[in-house]
Amino acid sequence: MKKILAISLVLLMALSATALAETIVVMPKLVGIPYFNASQTGAEAAGEELGIEVIYTGPTEGDAAQQVQMIEDLLISGIDALAIAPNDPDAVSPALQKCAEEGVLVVDWDTTANGDDVKYSIHQIDDTLYGQVIWDKLVEAMGTDEGEYAIVTGYLTAANLNTWIEAGKAYAAEKYPNLTLVTDPVASDESAQEAYTQTLALISAYPNLKGIVGVSTPAPIGAAMAVQEKGLQDQISVVGSCMPTDAAPYLKDGSLDFGILWDPGMLGRLTVYVAHYELNGVEITDGMEVPGVGNITLLEDGKTIIMGPPSIWTAENVDQFDF
Amino acid sequence: MIQHIKKNRAQYFLFLFLIILIAVMSALAPGKFLTVRNFKNMGFQMAEFGILAIGMSVVIMTGGINLSLVNSAMLAAIVGSFVMRALYNGGEGMADIPVIIIGIVVVMAVSVVCGLINGYFVAAVGVVPLLVTLGTQTMFNGASLNITKGSAISGLPKLFTRIGAGSLGDIPYTMLIYVAVILVAYFLIERTPWGVSVYMVGGNEKATRFSGINTKATLMKVYIFSAVMAGIAGILMTSRYNSARADYGSSYTMQAVAATVLGGTSINGGSGHVLGTVVAVAILQVISSGFNIIGINRNITDIVTGLILVGVLSINYFTSRDRVKKAAKA
Repeated sequence: MKKILAISLVLLMALSATALAETIVVMPKLVGIPYFNASQTGAEAAGEELGIEVIYTGPTEGDAAQQVQMIEDLLISGIDALAIAPNDPDAVSPALQKCAEEGVLVVDWDTTANGDDVKYSIHQIDDTLYGQVIWDKLVEAMGTDEGEYAIVTGYLTAANLNTWIEAGKAYAAEKYPNLTLVTDPVASDESAQEAYTQTLALISAYPNLKGIVGVSTPAPIGAAMAVQEKGLQDQISVVGSCMPTDAAPYLKDGSLDFGILWDPGMLGRLTVYVAHYELNGVEITDGMEVPGVGNITLLEDGKTIIMGPPSIWTAENVDQFDF
Repeated sequence: MIQHIKKNRAQYFLFLFLIILIAVMSALAPGKFLTVRNFKNMGFQMAEFGILAIGMSVVIMTGGINLSLVNSAMLAAIVGSFVMRALYNGGEGMADIPVIIIGIVVVMAVSVVCGLINGYFVAAVGVVPLLVTLGTQTMFNGASLNITKGSAISGLPKLFTRIGAGSLGDIPYTMLIYVAVILVAYFLIERTPWGVSVYMVGGNEKATRFSGINTKATLMKVYIFSAVMAGIAGILMTSRYNSARADYGSSYTMQAVAATVLGGTSINGGSGHVLGTVVAVAILQVISSGFNIIGINRNITDIVTGLILVGVLSINYFTSRDRVKKAAKA
């Protein structure tokens, strides 16, 4: 028993890194999923470059209650900044206010917190631009700007997905007036299986379908599965937001044409840089260049930071990404 | 005294373990862990989970399990918050205090109804508790999602958050509520005829029934008690997070089972102590907060918690087996 205690003591000592001058906590919605693992790599690399301590920690389940407890505990350990991707903006609000009271810098990343609780809000993309790029890529994949297309979404209630869809539809109405949306967006419940089923139904209901837009990361994958099964790679183009490792097999056989998303690693990196700049009195300006990220956009509210244009996965480049 | 310690060695062992753990954490996070501030912080956090764990323990003492515990807490909290938000109407409606009182009454009422549903199927119909509560877990969660559409209900009276955030000197209100709940639970389980019948039902339900005890009534009361705990925890959580949402505390269900078993309650029922669960909750809290303060990855926290659970259970198993052997020899 003594031995075990001694060994675990040593282990713990080793794990608790020596305190550096500046400590930034980056908290994802949860740890252990590919998306947030990729942001961890980026955040920690930025920490090493800057010579500061970056603690990347979050709950093992997407539970807001766990996030709140972790924030409260981290406050006691003495931190300089907290960057959070909240599971629920309201639930973490009291804890974030506590941080502010104690002089800890709070920013949000990936998912927005309540505006009053944070100094900066770091967004991966500009929602309007993202919608536009998806529709541009749809037209590019179809090879024509006229014909019928359908939208497969995650949940009809998901605010971010609806923003992208609205932006894309408005853009298409102006730029591609001959594109015809055959029906309202179809929900796939954030499941590739459901997207597959819904796409099969769409294909049989609309035989002239030329394109499918999938928003929510499993949606284009499920749509591509259906197109692949029917052997319609050449008739129907599929584009949308998806993770490159999921998309790779479908991109390569042509059932998926373009994957459009952002690099979560870069987002983690940008988050650490923004917090570091703010702690050290470096002014964040519109268009400033962040190492390894490029030029960022600061909106007029002086709070919202946009990382940059979306990244696009194709059959050629998809193997470079590991998330 | 020595007799008493020998009889309850598992509990004293657990308490000793808690002390050692606090010492280790204090050594690893010098000037941070062993501070009034951190203990106050842990007091804020521990209450909601501790109360849920007590609600779980009493059910497990009867040989059952309540998988819908946290979901009933959140369903009650959501309905209560919905009512509070409507009455308060962003400050334009009723005054704070009546809104809060009505809200609390609604939470407790919904929670008790959830308990009655569980109790009816377990006690009156006789379905296995695991199946009943697995079903109601989905049902309560579905109802919560239906009301909220997956988002949080906020816009509660500011005063309501004082329950979860306020303190009397350095003692959080939540801690005072927790201590009161512990005392009441201890008295009910260990000092009343109902408490005795809880253990008897857990030990041998049929024999208990034939000895003239109304086991159905006992079980029904157990599920209502569990629901009352869920209701209180629901109020504390809503206040602490200033909102209610279907998936708050979703990690608490299995943790509550773990705390119960770690606290010395047999998963087969018939034994266990409220205070054992309370010490186990404190152990889990110390590990969680301690590791967070030191800055250790949550996955490792989960692994260590699991190891401690397996370790303590093995030690309890072997020591009790030794005693049985000795008794057989004598």
